[in-house]
Amino acid sequence: MCHQTVSLAARHLEANGIPTIVMGCARDIVEHVGVPRFLFSDFPIGNPAGRPHDRASQDLTLELALRVLETAPAPRTTVQSPLHWSDNPDWKLDFSNIARLSPEEIARRRAEFDRQKEIAKRIRDKPAAAE
Amino acid sequence: MTKHDQDFGFAPDHDEPIPYRQRIRDYYRTLGYGAPYRWAHYAEVPFAPVTKPLAQSRIALVTTAAPYQPGNGDQGPGAAYNAAAKFYTVYSGDSAADHDLRISHVGYDRVHTTAEDGNSWFPLPALRRAAAAARIGEVALRFHGAPTNRSHRTTLDVDCPELLRRIREDRADAVILAAV
Repeated sequence: MCHQTVSLAARHLEANGIPTIVMGCARDIVEHVGVPRFLFSDFPIGNPAGRPHDRASQDLTLELALRVLETAPAPRTTVQSPLHWSDNPDWKLDFSNIARLSPEEIARRRAEFDRQKEIAKRIRDKPAAAE
Repeated sequence: MTKHDQDFGFAPDHDEPIPYRQRIRDYYRTLGYGAPYRWAHYAEVPFAPVTKPLAQSRIALVTTAAPYQPGNGDQGPGAAYNAAAKFYTVYSGDSAADHDLRISHVGYDRVHTTAEDGNSWFPLPALRRAAAAARIGEVALRFHGAPTNRSHRTTLDVDCPELLRRIREDRADAVILAAV
């Protein structure tokens, strides 16, 4: 939901006159919502601001975001960072890929999902949670 | 890889942005959940032009990461999904301070990244370096945390207006939003 949330927030800020840039790793979700400016890193979700433990990569990613912010000519401007996560692109085949899971693993995940949903519901229903 | 691919230097077909919406739809359908999630989708996109140089601008940062909450279960690095670490209202923090923000409450890629370095999802230190280098005018006094809610109504009617209110209060000229 993170990519959807920040995309909706970016739209709301822009509609109220404040320019924004979204940094993220899920291109299809951000572009489906529709945002003014987007710096896309083709990295595993969780790394919108550069490679872990790599300050040069993080500085470059922020610099690209700033450049997109100041130069985008029109809404829906997406720029893809030139950085690659790995020389081998096979990591892209794993995320939530049902074709790669056994029936036992699918059953296990379903039980875990139900358990987490119950926890989230308990917290949400508690007044003033996580202020 | 075929000889044809080699001759022309073609990348493998799957070396393209992951189709997350399709993956997630198929995943939950197979797990046995009925109607697919309806993602927010708009044909029109608002656009606020940048009106002054970034070197004279105050830049705010919005994150979906959560403050570390001792006692609320494993929050990583490398933690399994932990709904107990979620938050449901906008929060704000001092941009001049260092913060321990975690991402165990969201669906990041737990196979190929381990959430060891907060700087890879929360670019506040990098933004402070940009201010020190006069690349931007200054970092807004506060950064803001946006709850990642499945409910469009909560995000659109409650959280987005609250983010706008706080960012206006901080008199930020532009905003960077980093999605975990």
